Amino acid sequence: MRFVFQLSFREFRSSWRRLLFFFLCIAIGVGSIVALRSLVKNLSHAVGGDARALLTADVSIESNNPFSPTELGTIESVVEASGIATGNNELLETSAMARPLDSVESGVRFVLVRAIEAPFPLVGDFKMSGGKAFDFTLLKGNGLVASPVLLEELGIRIGDRLKIGEKEFVIRGTYESEPGGSGGFQLGSRVYVSKSTFEQSGIVENRSRVRRRLLFRTSANPTPLVESLREKFKGTPIRIRSYRETQENISEQFEKTEDYLSLTGLLILVLGGVGVWNVARVFVEQKRKSVAILKCVGARGRQIIAAYMLQIGGLGFLGGLFGIALAQIALMAGKSAFNDALPADMTFNVSWQAALQGLFLGMVISLLFSALPLLQIRNIKPNLLLRDDNNDKINRLDPLRWITGLGVVAGLLGLSVWQAGSLLVGVFFLAGLTIAASVLYFSAWLVVRSLAGLKKAGGFSISQALNSLSRPGNQTTVILLAVGLGAFVVIAVNSLERNLVREFDFSRNQRLPSFFFFDIQPSQIGEFTKLMNGKLGEKAEIIPTVRARISHVNGKPIDFNEREVREQQGQIGREFAVTYRDRLDDGEELKEGYWWNEIPADLPQVSVLESLADTLKLKTGDSITFTISGKSVTALVANIRKLDARNTRTVFIFVFRPGVLDSAPKSFAANVLKRLPANDRQRLQRDVIERFPNIQIVDVAEIVAVVQKLVANFVLAISFVGSFVIFSGILILIGSVSLTKAQRIYENAVLKTLGARRMQLSTILVAEYGILGLLAGLIGSSFAFLLSWAVSIFVLDIEWSADPVLLVMGILGTALLVAGFGTLASFDVLFRKPLGTLRQQ
Amino acid sequence: MIELKNITKIVKSGSEDLTILDGLSFTVPKGEFVSITGASGSGKSTLLGLIAGLDAPTSGDIIINDKYINKMSEDELADTRSLSIGFVFQSFHLIPSLTALENIMIPLEIAGDSNARYRAEELLSDVDLSDRGHHYPSELSGGEQQRVAIARAFSNRPEILLADEPTGNLDSKNGSHIFDLMTELHSKSKVTLILVTHDQSLAEKAERRIVLSDGRLVSDNRRAEH
Repeated sequence: MRFVFQLSFREFRSSWRRLLFFFLCIAIGVGSIVALRSLVKNLSHAVGGDARALLTADVSIESNNPFSPTELGTIESVVEASGIATGNNELLETSAMARPLDSVESGVRFVLVRAIEAPFPLVGDFKMSGGKAFDFTLLKGNGLVASPVLLEELGIRIGDRLKIGEKEFVIRGTYESEPGGSGGFQLGSRVYVSKSTFEQSGIVENRSRVRRRLLFRTSANPTPLVESLREKFKGTPIRIRSYRETQENISEQFEKTEDYLSLTGLLILVLGGVGVWNVARVFVEQKRKSVAILKCVGARGRQIIAAYMLQIGGLGFLGGLFGIALAQIALMAGKSAFNDALPADMTFNVSWQAALQGLFLGMVISLLFSALPLLQIRNIKPNLLLRDDNNDKINRLDPLRWITGLGVVAGLLGLSVWQAGSLLVGVFFLAGLTIAASVLYFSAWLVVRSLAGLKKAGGFSISQALNSLSRPGNQTTVILLAVGLGAFVVIAVNSLERNLVREFDFSRNQRLPSFFFFDIQPSQIGEFTKLMNGKLGEKAEIIPTVRARISHVNGKPIDFNEREVREQQGQIGREFAVTYRDRLDDGEELKEGYWWNEIPADLPQVSVLESLADTLKLKTGDSITFTISGKSVTALVANIRKLDARNTRTVFIFVFRPGVLDSAPKSFAANVLKRLPANDRQRLQRDVIERFPNIQIVDVAEIVAVVQKLVANFVLAISFVGSFVIFSGILILIGSVSLTKAQRIYENAVLKTLGARRMQLSTILVAEYGILGLLAGLIGSSFAFLLSWAVSIFVLDIEWSADPVLLVMGILGTALLVAGFGTLASFDVLFRKPLGTLRQQ
Repeated sequence: MIELKNITKIVKSGSEDLTILDGLSFTVPKGEFVSITGASGSGKSTLLGLIAGLDAPTSGDIIINDKYINKMSEDELADTRSLSIGFVFQSFHLIPSLTALENIMIPLEIAGDSNARYRAEELLSDVDLSDRGHHYPSELSGGEQQRVAIARAFSNRPEILLADEPTGNLDSKNGSHIFDLMTELHSKSKVTLILVTHDQSLAEKAERRIVLSDGRLVSDNRRAEH
């Protein structure tokens, strides 16, 4: 064993330069995994840690109707029986339009109004600008506290008046941080008013648009309390949440995200593994003589394999350590690139769990990918020192290499499953990777074979370059595979980005409304339509809406005590805006069932959109019970609808048969299509709010801008990861070039001796790598377009179109990159004197 | 003692079989200095490789101290080479990534010798290279490299030293120095020395001269004692 350690140390001392690329390949891979995992962990910590503050309490009981005395009595008795409540308050939330009264020119803004009473918040911090704590006296006498962003957007100051709904407020201050923070996607900024003012004001005419939340702080785990409350209110529209479940949901989402992102990291590490395999293969080839000498002086094959394994494991470990350092640098770079989009209190340090995982992965990948090349050592015979005739035998696939090969596949599968956190995803990842690599490898092989026929077509330099690509021991397929895979990822991401951005291009979808108006009262319809006609010359589409929640499916109450149901809380527990009509809308078609015009029915009927029908596992004939303004309405599912989102003005999940909702309190929603410049948009909103203060307006252009920003951030993040992939590809390229350098030096020496000029040799070099780059770009781009098409059509369900400019840029960019790096890495070869080289042979 | 019984070695050359050694039999008693000469391709180096267990004969037996070399496993052969056989090559075959001292230490470390460094330094001194121990092979001259190779071959105090054209890559001055060194170590440690060489003058200095031609033994003479 001592010999193994000593040999390993001495070999490492002399071979580290040759194995530098090996080291870097691992470092980049480990760095990616550690950076991605740490980023998500930190984000999860920043957001998940805020789950309590986000709720501003430990338990929240919510309803869109005022709580009845019976309900309040039940809540009080259950909470009292639990004996853990240490504080409570009631909070009201709604959305409304805010309009400044002291500035004529400023526009209107959609705001989220939060009406609070002391003590608030039960949990979390509420800090005013300047660092002072929030004080309830600010809200006295129609006082309001807003975010500085709102003041900036409206061009107003503290002390100015703001009209929200029918009520005037005075801005008393701005807050620096609200409980739970203000990160994430929200339509408008939040304003705080006092609960008593809010209740007197009539901000919203439609009371069902106000969400009431009874909040409790608890001294112990609130789960039993939440469970017993849920039991009492099963089948009612009252929703009960605890911060623990929110935290649990957030953590679960982040864990999934972390696992999927780690697979991207694993992809980079596996790509690094290909580099490791290549280096180990050539390393063994170059070490044949040393191995034979060692065997000649009595060393056993397994001792030598153990020494090299130890060396590679050690390098994997060191590469991993360097990778962790790279991850820290990447996190800091991420901080400066995405600071605005990330929570303010997020940390940017490497997580130690991620670092340990990275180190382990780096070592395992190093050993897995070098195992097969290292096993060749067994077949190196010491008589090679006397007669070099067993070169072919070292590559033979004997049973042990087959078994080891299978072990390597099993090991990779284990790593993929571990990193993905799911057997199925892990298997698919490895299968996908194997297929992609095989297809790239086979394409590369095919292209190289077909190049042989072109040798005669070019001049001396081109034919020599083509010769170099197919010389014995060439690295062509390895470079094509590595760089092709890098180009593939980067171009695929770019192509997807372009299609996504096009999808969200406001100007393309002529049927996407420019404004949505909500909460229009029946008495206002005539005047509203007239106003729109006058201002836009367009008849607004008016749609009746009713607010409803699902309480039962097929007679079974929705039970949020069940974990599976709770996970879909956001989707099925929310309040839906439903409508009724006697026809299918443009862009809609039936997937299942029939439209009500065809058959008369005695029972209420409802049409369900495909996506929610899938979530609730609904089929035609099933029944859904809705709670509408405190009353239950049970309807049978008459049909399931499909929707072409690109060709529709509105999306309703539930559409009722006309007549069913006749007695329900309804308001109307409207939308218009006409596009307006920013100033006119603001003016229109002002005009509407001045006439109808209760109406809420959504400016689609603003939402589209937010979504486009989200898409751009997403694309930037993915490109950031994609650049790691291409960086790995370039490293493998440089590594491969340096591995074949000795042969190139010798060939150049011979060519120089035969009279080749330096210019000719340079042309050969540039042509060789230029051709290689063109091929890598061609293969990578083709598969990237294929992937981008498949993801657009089958996953994102968006229109896809090929971008010829991107294709050309992808191919030329890759060619230039490979030609540049390849030529640079071998340029010194041109300046070597031939005699010295020839003497050494 | 080394016994060779009817040794034949046939290798594939393209699609044809090529007989390199053809029914070779002889015995070398312990401590004898034997030279083997013959034209290029006569099978000298192959014969030496078979005795060292670097390759297996196609037929016949090689017996060293009553053990059949040709029936040993790879691990048993490795142990035999480690403990009983030293080998010196024409092109030295030092490990380029190790220093001169470390090259000598390698067989000792493989055998688990805890005094490897001390013994290697002693051997370096025996071959007059005490001050070059930390040099890598590429930093040594041909003669120096061969001296390191000889020191390595003697490191485990082998019973048998096999030398394949040890002076073939050296000038005459260095060549005779190496030869003297080997014979001196041979007489000092009483090892069996089998020397393959083209150099007739060196071959004549051996106690026994074997001449091969086309893989067959054509002459086997002992030098008359003076």
